[in-house]
Amino acid sequence: MKPPRFAYHRAGTLEEAIELGARFDGSAKFMAGGQSLMPVMSLRMMTAEHVIDISGIAALRECRAAGERELIGAGTTHAMLEDGKVPDPARGYLRHVAAGIGYRSIRNRGTVGGSLAHADPAGDWPSALLALDAVAVIAGPGGERRVPLREFQLGLMETCLAGPELLTGVLVPRLSERARWAYRKFCRKVGEFAHSIGAVVLDPTLRICNVVVGAVGGKPVRLEQTSARIAEGAPRKDPRELAALVAQDLAGATGLDPSSYEFQVHHAIVSRALTQALSA
Amino acid sequence: MSRIAMTVNGRPVEAEAEDRTTLGEFLREALDLTGTHLACEHGVCGACTVLLDEEPVRSCITLAAAVTGRQVRTIEGFDDDPAMRVIRECFSEAHGLQCGYCTPGMLITVRDLLRRGRAADAAQIRVELAGNLCRCTGYAGIVKATELARDRLAK
Amino acid sequence: MSGKPGKGVGARLRRKEDHRHLHGRGEFVGDLRLPGTLEAAFVRSPVAHGVVRGLDIPAEHAASVLTAADFPGVKPIVAVPKVEGFKASEHPALAAGRVRFAGEPIALALAATRAQAEDIAEAVTVEVDELPAVVDMVQALEPGAPLIREEWRDNQFVEKLNEYGDLEWARRNATVTVQREYRMNRQAAVPLEGRAILAAWNERLEELTLYIGSQSPHQLRVGLAHSLGIEERQIRLVTPDMGGGFGAKRVLYPEELIVAAAALKLRRPVRWLEDKREHLLASIHCREHLHRVTAYADARGKLLGLDVEIFVDAGAYSHWPNGPFMEAGMAARNIPGPYVVEHYRCRSHTVATNKSPIGAYRGVARPAACFTIERTIDEIAHAVGREPWEVRLENMVPSSAMPYRNVTRLAFDTGDYAESVRRAAQLIDLEAVRARQKRGEPDGRLIGVGFASFTEQTAHGCGEWVARGVPVIPGYESATARMMTDGSLMLMVGIISHGQGLETTLAQIAHEELGIDPLRISIRHGDTQASPFGMGTFASRSMVMAGGAVAKACRALRAKMAAIAAHLLQCDAAALRFEDCAVHGPGGSLPFAELGRIANLRQEALPPGVDPLLEVTVTYEPAVDTGVFTYATQAAVVAVDPDTGMVELLDYAVVEDCGTVVNPLIVDGQIAGGIAQGIGTALYEEIPYDASGQPLATTLADYLLPGAPEIPAIKIGHLSTPSPHTEYGMKGMGEGGAISPPAAIANAIRDALLGIGGEINETPMTPRRVRAAVARALAARASRPAAEPVHA
Repeated sequence: MKPPRFAYHRAGTLEEAIELGARFDGSAKFMAGGQSLMPVMSLRMMTAEHVIDISGIAALRECRAAGERELIGAGTTHAMLEDGKVPDPARGYLRHVAAGIGYRSIRNRGTVGGSLAHADPAGDWPSALLALDAVAVIAGPGGERRVPLREFQLGLMETCLAGPELLTGVLVPRLSERARWAYRKFCRKVGEFAHSIGAVVLDPTLRICNVVVGAVGGKPVRLEQTSARIAEGAPRKDPRELAALVAQDLAGATGLDPSSYEFQVHHAIVSRALTQALSA
Repeated sequence: MSRIAMTVNGRPVEAEAEDRTTLGEFLREALDLTGTHLACEHGVCGACTVLLDEEPVRSCITLAAAVTGRQVRTIEGFDDDPAMRVIRECFSEAHGLQCGYCTPGMLITVRDLLRRGRAADAAQIRVELAGNLCRCTGYAGIVKATELARDRLAK
Repeated sequence: MSGKPGKGVGARLRRKEDHRHLHGRGEFVGDLRLPGTLEAAFVRSPVAHGVVRGLDIPAEHAASVLTAADFPGVKPIVAVPKVEGFKASEHPALAAGRVRFAGEPIALALAATRAQAEDIAEAVTVEVDELPAVVDMVQALEPGAPLIREEWRDNQFVEKLNEYGDLEWARRNATVTVQREYRMNRQAAVPLEGRAILAAWNERLEELTLYIGSQSPHQLRVGLAHSLGIEERQIRLVTPDMGGGFGAKRVLYPEELIVAAAALKLRRPVRWLEDKREHLLASIHCREHLHRVTAYADARGKLLGLDVEIFVDAGAYSHWPNGPFMEAGMAARNIPGPYVVEHYRCRSHTVATNKSPIGAYRGVARPAACFTIERTIDEIAHAVGREPWEVRLENMVPSSAMPYRNVTRLAFDTGDYAESVRRAAQLIDLEAVRARQKRGEPDGRLIGVGFASFTEQTAHGCGEWVARGVPVIPGYESATARMMTDGSLMLMVGIISHGQGLETTLAQIAHEELGIDPLRISIRHGDTQASPFGMGTFASRSMVMAGGAVAKACRALRAKMAAIAAHLLQCDAAALRFEDCAVHGPGGSLPFAELGRIANLRQEALPPGVDPLLEVTVTYEPAVDTGVFTYATQAAVVAVDPDTGMVELLDYAVVEDCGTVVNPLIVDGQIAGGIAQGIGTALYEEIPYDASGQPLATTLADYLLPGAPEIPAIKIGHLSTPSPHTEYGMKGMGEGGAISPPAAIANAIRDALLGIGGEINETPMTPRRVRAAVARALAARASRPAAEPVHA
């Protein structure tokens, strides 16, 4: 089980990475921690003639205040968040999500940006950051652009990153004291990719109210009606009413047959996450 | 082919390898450090765990070229480590190994979880060990050995 | 379990093998280096069933790819058991023409590195005309099903019917009839180290040396010599450290055969290290059984009769040495379990399908047999309104009846089966679980407790294996004991230790017999040129068989040492004591080193008529060849999430009896390890196939192995009824742990779902299947108008 042959390039700076990306456009893959890319390449399910290693770019590990939001550099590892080495503007939410990803040895290498750019619908950050109203910061030959996360992932392992563009970080809001969150996932065993994710972030001060279902179809989905109803303030706590609310929304949002096992699991997980967030 | 240079177990090393060579493959085939075992080779089983700048990583899904210039420590590099001495002793005492194939990765993971204080009880130890598969022991001896080592290292 | 003092039988001695493994200095096949080694990768069949029309090999790789045409002298692997009506299959080393499962080797690619060999294998295109695949073992027997071998006229390796007693009587007298269908799905053994071989021709010795992961290197040599067409003296198998086997490293596979043939042909070392995808594709699979059962019982739940039909999906080929027929045979014999059953009928079908061949995996057929009888006992209990553990006691062979020959002629030797149930109920604290169930769970989960008992025939001898019809009769084990001139001891044995700790336990036995420090003993195993012929490690036989052989060899050695010592110490041999590496007489002592020196180097000091050397070779078999029966009862407590179908194991207990324990540390380790594998079977591991015969779990992301959080702490209780038929009273125990968990957990889930009328009879009991069982039960309840609502 060895990866097919490729040429390895190490980018020292962002500019160098973008330049390499442009030079090998169409035949190159950016690699940060490689924790998603290496397994699929070793299984020969994905090939690239050129691998551009961006793990050495210091700028990608930068985390700092950026206006009303906080920038989390794309190269931030899950372990840095788990260990609190990077401040968590989302009041423990990012730390909680990070600590639940795979295993510690994966978290030491895997990065926030890598997870988002890999765009596996069962990955944690696509769902978690969608629920947080995060904004992707993207650098390309033409400069920088910002894309709300709901427009970032287009489908199964597909993002809006074009050609040599590189995700450099995400802007996340500083949640207020009134914020409530819950993040639950359904795995058959600890550390496994999730079969369902329920991510809920509610912050009345910032007017954030997102109920997200992940590990579903091609990409995580915000439950629009449920999120809107919760924002309106009702129902607040009764688990049965919350479950009914989610049930109404889920089939339309995911296209799943309500009698299917997948629907039932997503329903249970999202309902539980929502109940947990509202009772927190 | 590239020349890849890093520090392994405190010694600078350099060898020629294909760009696609993983760290695990590099350690075993280029450096003959066969204590690092490859089992699943796609990042699931943890047998190949080594330390990279003192943090555990999976050498089967880490490129050798990507750790150029960095510090790698393998199971062969703990002979002077007091914590590892205790852990090894406890593994033998509590029968934390049978065939020995998962053992190097398991020991490195246990040392790290103890270092991070993530062994409050058996349940926490089990979660921390989730990324290291053992097919022989049923984990009973491994969890016991970890608890023993935690208690002895605390003294 | 605490151990006895000292270093002999019963001592909780730490393992001699630990040090090297703890320092990363184990020596596995992949750790060996021979200059000029070529690495192998395989071109494999992309389809489950088809006819290969040709291979498109890019010109630049022509010299690096070997096909069947390059090995005209290599004969296919054939296992022909002496079983009436069995249809043998020829398993080619490399397929040419017909391919019968996805992953079957077609060509060998060789290169300097494995990565390059994979590149070459990937560049080869297989031109194949696909045929309809046989995927389902029941449909495979229906008229009009595609045939895997036209000359067979059906897809059945063999069909057997066994009838005992008068089933019609049981049917007429039954108060309760239980009918069920139980299914275990296909899985693999997945030792952490895959299969591995490094083959090299030695010109000086004219010998092909194979460093190979094998549980049975001596037996493997027989099959290899036959297929390679060279003499056995020219093949040396060396099994160094091995990262688990569990049955998967016991058969002769095409890959190992062709790598050996390539080294022979090219006169260069060739290495193949199986990766996990290859393992899941093309190593033996196991466990795929379907049992249809009708059980008859009286109003107390006493079993009157059993009527069973067994289907075993044996895959495409029959592997050497044993072939697939043992699965159905062992299931048929073991379904009556530890119970008194007088009327029993069993029809079994060993079915060929377009899947990887089935083989022995820890427990062989008995997990399925246990699943069937133990689920059935519970259903009988529910039907008569009694506690399942009580119904077990009602039916078990009582200890007063021992020795007891059961309905399928298994000769139970000793034991108190009922006591294992009572003790397991205490250990799991049945009363507390029942109380907790009454209270209900705050999170809405449903709690259940389940039991499963079994007996396991271990260390069976010649007559038993002859009756099974296997081509090789592993009725004995061998050992050579050699004392060196310095008084240290070498033991050469034909079995293999790959985690079982036999380097330690065999030394304990030598210590027991000779009083020699285990640290002064070398156990040499896994080298066909170093030890006498031995059968290998399987069927829970190693400790009883090889331990017995070592005991016997050491005793013979001791007799000769005593004769020499009595002469030198001028005393009666009967007055001598063996202790602390010395022989002690009434008037003085002789260290072993002195005896070793005299016997090997100073012939003139030997008593008249005594030959030089301290070396003995023996074979050993237990006093009976019907086996010694270990037994156990396991108990599981589960919490079932009715919304997701997720099952959590809250508690697990086992009470077992393996007779005299040689090393409690190792016995408990084998039990815990076996149970973890059984939990894998019960809840996680499965290789599903699609309708075209493509396997759907070929990575460890799809094929789930339980990790530490999935395995609970296991409470272990011991009973000890020494066997009168073996050395020290030992019984085999390596497999037992893996037998009960599917049944115990299924019964626990049934107990949890009893209130809503749900049950599950298929492994693995995945959340999807458990949720389906819940949904079925709720739908059935809803369709009954008078049903009371039950929270789920």
